[in-house]
Amino acid sequence: MAEIYKLIHPVKYFNDYLSRKIRPDGRAFHEQRNIKLNVNSIKAADASAVVKCGNTTVVCGIKLELATPKAEEPDVGFLVTNVELPPLCSSKYRPGPPTDSAQVTSTLVADIIANSKCIDLKDLSIVHDKLAWVLYCDMVCIDNDGSLVDACIMTLMASLKTLTLPKVTYDPETEEISVDTSVRTKLNVNGLPVATSFALYKHEQSNIVLADPSSYEEEMCGGIGANLITCYNNGILCGSQKFGGCNLSIECEEEALKIAKERAQAVEEVVDVCIKNYELEINK
Amino acid sequence: MGSDNTDLKDFKLRPMKCECNYLSKSDGSAILSQGQTVALVSVNGPLDIKMTNQSIEKATLEVLFSSKGGKPAIGDRYKEHVIRQTCETAILGSLYPRTGITVTIQEMEDYGGFLACCINCTCLALLNAGLSMRHTFAAVACAIDELGDIQLDPAPAQLAAARATMTFVFDSRNKTLVCGFTEGSFSEDAHSEALERCRSASQLVFDFYKDIVSKYSYVIG
Repeated sequence: MAEIYKLIHPVKYFNDYLSRKIRPDGRAFHEQRNIKLNVNSIKAADASAVVKCGNTTVVCGIKLELATPKAEEPDVGFLVTNVELPPLCSSKYRPGPPTDSAQVTSTLVADIIANSKCIDLKDLSIVHDKLAWVLYCDMVCIDNDGSLVDACIMTLMASLKTLTLPKVTYDPETEEISVDTSVRTKLNVNGLPVATSFALYKHEQSNIVLADPSSYEEEMCGGIGANLITCYNNGILCGSQKFGGCNLSIECEEEALKIAKERAQAVEEVVDVCIKNYELEINK
Repeated sequence: MGSDNTDLKDFKLRPMKCECNYLSKSDGSAILSQGQTVALVSVNGPLDIKMTNQSIEKATLEVLFSSKGGKPAIGDRYKEHVIRQTCETAILGSLYPRTGITVTIQEMEDYGGFLACCINCTCLALLNAGLSMRHTFAAVACAIDELGDIQLDPAPAQLAAARATMTFVFDSRNKTLVCGFTEGSFSEDAHSEALERCRSASQLVFDFYKDIVSKYSYVIG
């Protein structure tokens, strides 16, 4: 019955739930979905992680490569991030070249990582003007059920935190490169940026902030993806993007920032615990 | 009124110049310069589109951004996304079901605050095309430097020295935030102060819209 009602009166169905102060999936407005995280799940990659927030699942794999740095920036390595949204993850996507939303998500993720300054690209330099690391960070969405950017950032950061760089020796005379994979050093990661998505909905003259929206909620709130994405790193804002949805009032923004701050701590804990467990396991 | 004026004096934007109906074949077009930053926008619609893209509820909005070099880049998709989402909230799309509205933005010169200029120019072109809108919208860019000072509508030199840049888009009715995006890292206080400053400065842009529109229309101007 409820399913038919949802099809015939989609907006009324959604409003009826919201007027009872509950969301269609049974969550309270500010309640977030469970997070499950696993690191180093792909053995072929140099570092990897899988995250599941509710149904949204994203896998990240990092591949290391060596390259010559750009002439204008000889002391800087490369961090290349890419988000893939295959048709597998949602019926919205078709096979073919990357869709607009995949490109927008890629830009958002790359911007957040660059703005948070969590990775100093100078750490990736090996020999001045000759050799630097390239980190290819590929994120593939397996199931897209909203709040995609949150999940992408989380798996990317978990992967980066477990990444170790092998020792490279470079002979300046013969230009010979030798990589010693048995000696590895950890990559320096400064803080842990955490993105939090929100959907904003106008319901009977009041604005409602829905934390961690599902893809159905994002659609009902009229956005392509989430309406508001805020990102914290070490308690400092490093990005706040708002697109579409209802217009954001000052109270709503404060509310959202508060939730984002709390979530940043929660996610940090999840990542730390997961990595600690992983390290205990390999040191056994 | 007097006190309002003195308040606004603190909010200086670079001089804006605009010409509407710049293109002869578009339904609406505008070229806008804010300082040395220049954008050209053409709006066509409501027009016929393919059956597969039609929506029975509202007009389908298509935004195309072409950079000066003409080469498409991933960053351009992001700009299109920002402009599409802004227009989507502003245009009364339900008045034009099963049709399409195309907005084409051409980059002319980028001397800081380019996306804000594009958004303002888009609003003028939409007004010029005579599309029904819920509200007009105005974008204001600002930069926060190392000392925490906020500079509205920054020039390239100020952008280079900035630790964060932000752009906010406001609606004309309640001046609530329609769209906003930031670069760099900053504190919450800096963010809210920048937001308030831009909110006040957006009035200058709305006044400018009024000046421009009243030149060719007595009714809506």
